Amino acid sequence: MKLYAVKLLTVTCEILAQKDVIEILKKHGITGYTTYEVDGNGARGIRGQGFKNEKNVKIEIIMREDKLQDVVEEISRTLFADFATVLYVSDVSVVRAEKF
Amino acid sequence: MDILQLIQSNLLTPVILFFLFGIIAARIKSDLKIPEAISEFLPIYLLAAIGLHGGIEMRNTGFENMLIPMLVAICLSLLFTLNHYQILRRLGNLSIFDSYALASTYGAVGAVTFSVGLSFLKNQGVASEGYLAAVLAVLEPVAFILAIFLTNMAVSKQIRTKKQSFVKDNASGIDVGFQETRTKLSQILHESITGKAIVILLGSIVIGYVIGESGFASIKIVFDDMFTGAIVIFMIEMGIVAGQRLDDIKKVGVFLTAFAVIVPTFNGVIGVLVATAMGLSLGGAVMFGLLLASASFIAAPAVLRHAIPQANPSLYITSALGITFPYNIIVLLPVMFTVSTFVHNMEGSIDLFHYVLKDWV
Repeated sequence: MKLYAVKLLTVTCEILAQKDVIEILKKHGITGYTTYEVDGNGARGIRGQGFKNEKNVKIEIIMREDKLQDVVEEISRTLFADFATVLYVSDVSVVRAEKF
Repeated sequence: MDILQLIQSNLLTPVILFFLFGIIAARIKSDLKIPEAISEFLPIYLLAAIGLHGGIEMRNTGFENMLIPMLVAICLSLLFTLNHYQILRRLGNLSIFDSYALASTYGAVGAVTFSVGLSFLKNQGVASEGYLAAVLAVLEPVAFILAIFLTNMAVSKQIRTKKQSFVKDNASGIDVGFQETRTKLSQILHESITGKAIVILLGSIVIGYVIGESGFASIKIVFDDMFTGAIVIFMIEMGIVAGQRLDDIKKVGVFLTAFAVIVPTFNGVIGVLVATAMGLSLGGAVMFGLLLASASFIAAPAVLRHAIPQANPSLYITSALGITFPYNIIVLLPVMFTVSTFVHNMEGSIDLFHYVLKDWV
């Protein structure tokens, strides 16, 4: 089976920043993503205790490399200063490259 | 001495005791936790019960007499928000963003505080005007809208002055700033009006109005008899969340701690006096004062984190939830109740005086 190389962008951020991330994705023509609610600890302290608003969310987006640069740049510019955000990129392989 | 006695007896009600119990559970690092689904469900339930009661009573009393209290509450809320901002910015030396976020947190209303106030009055055997539930719904977004509007104006002004130092002609820059402010505001307006708290509250007010006393009889067991019990369960959760934040109070600082106690007291007492002057009942004046005294800690983070992301959320959540909320329900409620009782008795004597005069003339 032939596999195609694409990029996996993972953003772990405050649940209240989820909407901003998804809006940025939409702006760049990316409609597919997966989210899950998570807890954790980081520079801004333990997150996920108390109200639902204070939880973290992990967003995974598979995309082609040509879009990656712009998306990462915009997320960094708009969210890093004000929200607890961690972002990383990894290489993954998919079967159906035309989906992304 | 009367106030102290009232505080003492208030302290020994199940609502307060379970709140304190929750704090202790959090402090000893117990894994006690109210399941997430229940702690999300309870605010909806409480608001539905408040709304139903309000709607039923509005059917009995009509809409006319709620208009003036509602307008006065909106005006006071706006005035207080501006006043908070000045205090925070001038005396507290906080940043513009933190000042506006905190100002609106304390200008907004707390639905949970409101429910505790109702159970406190129930405990004292005093009724309050049902239309205050509608005031609660209307008041919810007011302070946020003002703060967000002013923050956006301040930001676009900053951008404008920065641009001015580069280019002289910047008319387009201003237009863009205004445009952005407007779209952001309308978006936030839409979000906060369609937020779950307001939707369930207004929905139940309408339903309560339609079904009236007779329709309510069949659901009374859930929405009336169980009300205080549900608050008690929710108070465990509130205690745990507040207890987890107690360590953060050190980060909040002396100024904000004092602010979180003095400002609600001032707002609350003014609210009681104004409400009494408008002719609200003893209990109604207490609830009106509580509306103005309470700080928002469930709705505020959701709105402000988007609208003013630059503000530090731990400042406004910790001070509202860790300091103001316990203070309001333990100390300020009995204080306002005493003030309201005092003023209402005094009014009675003024009336008497009036009658005496009439006899004379």
